[in-house]
Amino acid sequence: MADLTLTQKALRTLKDSHIGENDIILVSPVDLSSDGKYIKGYLAVTSDKVAVLSMELPDSTVHLFRNSRPGDEYIDEEPGEYEVSVYELKDTAHYRIDSFVGSNVLSAEYKGEYITVAAFTNRYQEQMNVLVRKLRNYLHGSELAVEEEVAVEEDKDVSKSGKSQRSIFGRTLKYFLKYKGLIAVLIFTYIINGSMNIAWPYLTGTVLFDRVLEADKDFLGRFGLAGKLGLALLIVALAMLLVRFMQALSNYIQIYVMAKLSSTAIRDLKNDAFDSMSRLSLSFYVNKQTGGLMTRVLSDSDRVRNFFIDGLPMIFVHGITIVVTFIIMFRLNWKMALLACILLPLLVFMTVKLRPGLWILAGKRHRAEKAVSGKANDNLTGARVVKAFGQQDEEIEKFSGPSSKLRDAEIDIAKLRNKFAILYNLVQEVSSIWIWIAGVIFVLKTHEIELGVLITFVGYVMQLNGPMNFFAWVFRMWSDSINSAERLFEIIDAIPEIREAENPVELRSPRGEIELSNVTFGYQVGRPILKDINIRIKEGEMLGIVGRSGAGKSTLVNLISRLYDVNEGSIKIDGTDVKNLSLSDLRRNVAMVSQDTYIFMGSVAKNIAYGNENASRADIIRAAKLASAHEFISRLPDGYDTIIGASGKDLSGGEKQRISIARAILANPKILILDEATASVDTQTEKAIRHSLEYLVQGRTTLSIAHRLSTLKDADRLIVIDGGRIVEEGTEEELRNIEGGIYKTLLDLQNKSMALNAEF
Amino acid sequence: MAEDTLNIYEKKAEEMTATNMITKEYRFSKTKGGFLSLEFEGSTYPRIRVVRLFPFSDENKYLSIREYGNGDKEIGIIEDLSLMSEDTQKLISEQLKLYYFTPVINKILSIKDEYGYAYFHVKTDKGECRFAINMGANAVTKLSDTRLIIKDVDENRFEIKDIDELTSKERRMLDLFL
Repeated sequence: MADLTLTQKALRTLKDSHIGENDIILVSPVDLSSDGKYIKGYLAVTSDKVAVLSMELPDSTVHLFRNSRPGDEYIDEEPGEYEVSVYELKDTAHYRIDSFVGSNVLSAEYKGEYITVAAFTNRYQEQMNVLVRKLRNYLHGSELAVEEEVAVEEDKDVSKSGKSQRSIFGRTLKYFLKYKGLIAVLIFTYIINGSMNIAWPYLTGTVLFDRVLEADKDFLGRFGLAGKLGLALLIVALAMLLVRFMQALSNYIQIYVMAKLSSTAIRDLKNDAFDSMSRLSLSFYVNKQTGGLMTRVLSDSDRVRNFFIDGLPMIFVHGITIVVTFIIMFRLNWKMALLACILLPLLVFMTVKLRPGLWILAGKRHRAEKAVSGKANDNLTGARVVKAFGQQDEEIEKFSGPSSKLRDAEIDIAKLRNKFAILYNLVQEVSSIWIWIAGVIFVLKTHEIELGVLITFVGYVMQLNGPMNFFAWVFRMWSDSINSAERLFEIIDAIPEIREAENPVELRSPRGEIELSNVTFGYQVGRPILKDINIRIKEGEMLGIVGRSGAGKSTLVNLISRLYDVNEGSIKIDGTDVKNLSLSDLRRNVAMVSQDTYIFMGSVAKNIAYGNENASRADIIRAAKLASAHEFISRLPDGYDTIIGASGKDLSGGEKQRISIARAILANPKILILDEATASVDTQTEKAIRHSLEYLVQGRTTLSIAHRLSTLKDADRLIVIDGGRIVEEGTEEELRNIEGGIYKTLLDLQNKSMALNAEF
Repeated sequence: MAEDTLNIYEKKAEEMTATNMITKEYRFSKTKGGFLSLEFEGSTYPRIRVVRLFPFSDENKYLSIREYGNGDKEIGIIEDLSLMSEDTQKLISEQLKLYYFTPVINKILSIKDEYGYAYFHVKTDKGECRFAINMGANAVTKLSDTRLIIKDVDENRFEIKDIDELTSKERRMLDLFL
């Protein structure tokens, strides 16, 4: 019957306590002592007894957990003797498992007193749960334990997002030029590398073959090596080795410095972009897709780095290599050099001819890429809706369109590029064969040059291939990176629409009086959302704002906390225009509890104390209590230290809302804005939150937006906004009595639906 | 009139936030069954629970003392355990030791990762342990730059107090999770 059989030793020990193997009905291992040490043990249940076996383990024991792999070390499974406690089942009752943060405790009532029967880690939680459930059933009929499981789902959104200008290039370059030291090192290594590249063919061709192997007396004599051929050879060999070594060393330094320089400069660029983004007003985020911004900054900065690190320096290196190589070639033998150059115009012609086609195709691909990632982004972020409406097949269908366009564009580019590459290589191959043929004729027939010179020449021509190829594709990289840089600068240069006044007025201990005069505002010019709003809100007053969806309620409160600036008219707090107030003072004194609360990555305590770093623990607990949040926080295993937000523990909508209320309570603002503060919670939670809010609004000027009109029954005054204007104003009672009024209509509607709900 | 309503709300708020501070005067005792009982403001609580409100940032401050059952209602808060009588400190620490049982890893012998699981072999203050974690789940929580909580497949917790105190070899093994 028992799933996990007991060891012989354990069975023997039980036998000593008069419990036979066949008596045992239920068994589960246990692994903790009540004083918090690992032990080995079992809990065994017979028809009339409960026995607990426990064995202390020596320090050398290796404790194995589920799915772990036993090592090679010898493990004595049972190094000691079991201690046994036996309880008569009839003396016990109320078995219960309590799960704590690091342990589980099985307790029961034994002779009228609660005792700890056994303790265990999560390793055996499942088995114990089963055992206890069966035991309870056995004890009295049909009581079942309930286990809870929490599933966490994660959503990810992916998104990606082209003109070129010299100024962008220069500006990006500045980010790199800041690090002059690193750049100097980099240039130095390029020079070393470049000169070694040029020295190598000369050393292996002309010097080795024509001078040393030919035993050129003039040449050797210059170095005092006349006649010492062996030594000269050795020196040339060493020189060759040294050149290779220098190349390797400078390469190593180059890569190291480049990695450092690129990451630092790109970090600066990213920081500037993020810094700028955080200063921008809300409307920027409304106009651009926020999700895409993030990936845009990251992927664009990558592309910029690619060019500035892999591309730009190489332009100089390869450019210089080409020029110097040609000069040397001409000095060695101008006829041969001319032959090597003869096909160059063809290369230039090809480049000029074929490039534009590639540009056009690249643009096509870019647009196709955008369409594909846009579509993918849509589908991933809207996965819930897509699935809920059973639109998977249709979405796949819709996706395949842009997807095959992208495929076609890629194929076209590959085709053209291949054509280009083949032609290019062909020209290069032809010119090197050309050199060989001409060279052999020069060496054998006309004796114009020596063998070494020919080898040197071929070496140079081959060496030119790399740089030439490089120039063939570097321009693409250049345009890519300029496009990316431009987009980054677009963010960096975006001017925050909400700017602090030159000499902002400080707002110390405000009274909290708000006055709106002739306020007109619209997100787009010529389409006002709010028209000519005039209202005075007295100190400590609670104003309820009512209206249909889209009437402009949220817009109105956003204007007060200056998330947007008014188009016409003015908003004054304590008689000072909000445009003249210091932004930090304003934000500190106006707190918003809104329908979408944002939880930052961090602990619960840090989230509550957001914007209020000096808050003590006692303050945080007090605020949490007032927000009816203390209870659920205490229940979290890690209490106030629980990490929440992205990748942390998931909180429910109501829990998040209560944390944001606690945040507002702690901030202790003079003006409080409640924007559908209880929208996403159930009725019971709403009651708890209402309770907290009732406290919160005391002594503060409050603006409350609510769909559920019952939430506004405590408001001193109500306004009804319709079509961007205040159409009704007064106490709840006054508004209720306006025949045909909007408030009355809304109220009647809600009462009716409530009555309907009550009937069901 | 307005003053009155303000008072009413103040009162309500006080009730809601009413935090009973449990200080030295109140007596905790151990029951025969090994549980804690508390006499507080004339009531006797035969069995109580102790919850750390800041288990990581300050484990011995702000301990919430709760009833057992009855919705686990909070009886009060011990602001600082070190200010309690020695007996109480001993009793509560004993309970917390079991409730927050978390072996502290002081040496990493090996970490192998395969098919989405990582197999740890470590030395802890409670003895040598081998356990497995699921790499896909949030098995490793960074409490700070240097402090980690690692949860095995059964959510058993292991703690690394300070990764800077590990050898560079051990840190390299951990790199996968940092």
